[in-house]
Amino acid sequence: MNHQSLLVHPLPSRLRLRLAALIVALAVTAATAGAEAVRMVTIPAGSYVPLQRSEKDAPTVPVAAFLLDERPVTNAEFVAFVTAVPKWRRSQVSPLFADSSYLGQWVGDLDPGPGAPPDSPVVQVSWFAARAYAHWVGKRLPTTAEWELAASAGYTRPDGRNDDELNRDLYAWLARPVPAVLPAAGRGRPDYHGVRDLHGLVWEWVEDFNSAMVTGESRADSGLDRNLFCGAGAVGAKDTTDYAAFMRGALRSSLNAKNTTTSLGFRCARDLPPAAGR
Amino acid sequence: MKPHLLTLALLLSAIAARGGDAPACCHAEQAPAAFTKNSIYQLDATFTDDSGHAFTLGELRGRPVVINLFFASCGYACPLLVTNMQAIRGQLPPAVRDRAVFVLVSFDVARDTPAALARYRAQRQLDGQWKLLHGDDAAVRELAALLGVKYKQEADGAFSHSNILTILNPEGEIVHQRIGLQGGLEAAAAALVTAAH
Repeated sequence: MNHQSLLVHPLPSRLRLRLAALIVALAVTAATAGAEAVRMVTIPAGSYVPLQRSEKDAPTVPVAAFLLDERPVTNAEFVAFVTAVPKWRRSQVSPLFADSSYLGQWVGDLDPGPGAPPDSPVVQVSWFAARAYAHWVGKRLPTTAEWELAASAGYTRPDGRNDDELNRDLYAWLARPVPAVLPAAGRGRPDYHGVRDLHGLVWEWVEDFNSAMVTGESRADSGLDRNLFCGAGAVGAKDTTDYAAFMRGALRSSLNAKNTTTSLGFRCARDLPPAAGR
Repeated sequence: MKPHLLTLALLLSAIAARGGDAPACCHAEQAPAAFTKNSIYQLDATFTDDSGHAFTLGELRGRPVVINLFFASCGYACPLLVTNMQAIRGQLPPAVRDRAVFVLVSFDVARDTPAALARYRAQRQLDGQWKLLHGDDAAVRELAALLGVKYKQEADGAFSHSNILTILNPEGEIVHQRIGLQGGLEAAAAALVTAAH
């Protein structure tokens, strides 16, 4: 099991080279397997009902079919990323791209430690870091519309709004404090499309989080200051009954791109290949 | 099994550090003439200016900068933002005025093509010290995130957006932001003068 001891073992140099090459091949395979281990699920085209829209806006926004990671990105996956791209390590990241609690639960630059098990979702990552990871694996972050469309599915039907079981689980999660050590990603009950953990594990970054046009101050949100937001005076909350969506909107609008929190992770998305859409 | 994979990945990096090639996915993270840790010029996105030339923000290095996000068809705040930038320029001592760059980056990646921005330049009679930039959605989204600007396209094609004017020093570090439309032009001009030295 200990490959490292093989490397230092006194062997003929040619054999050592071959062994080294074999280990590299193995490691590349493992790293690739790690990056590809996340199954991507096709979310069929649908429409997203924005929580907030101006009076002029259509009630729903069409969303094209896309691919979404089955689960959030894990600590092990993020270790592989910062190992390969040093500028995203905790000790090297620019303060512009991540605040001081970036990867704060980790023990070291490349060591998540016991508080952040390999299979648990990576948290305390900034929007910049999440995006950089997604691009590194050849993907992107989902848009708000895509994420919310996916998250609107129930356990047993595409529209989860009246899925009592889902709502019960969701509200139970919202009421629970964030555990000190997060459980593994990908173990949640799959929804109608086969996606897991959209609800009940961590909050997730979206590409256009900074399109949420509330100030984060409740007294200002009912009628946005036209001085601060051009045109935003027209944007008001549409449906305040969807409490969970409201929470997500409030979170997004309160975040800056460099912020990190112990309950905020991400998952990746990808466009469907042109031919596979239908 | 997972920690085992992790060990292998770490091992790979150790081997790569000793001279092997990085996997194709992971383009080398070089640091050319390193920008400072707080420089927004660390953004490596490429924009296109209104004469159709590729432009990276790092090319502004060495000069004091006023930067604003806007969209050309905006009928409410954006004309005022441009007027405000002109007012700031008018308050600068000549030595600073001649070095300062006034940058407008459009949210409207679909309609504000370089040609549309060139028309806007002509309409507003903006001279060579103004830089009008078009970028793809990801580039503009990232720049907006760095400047703390929120924006959203409405169904009628217009954009709701924060009104934030930013002053950058010659290293590309944010030294001042003017939030909102009222007042504060003197403070912005003063910040630009300080930044220029």
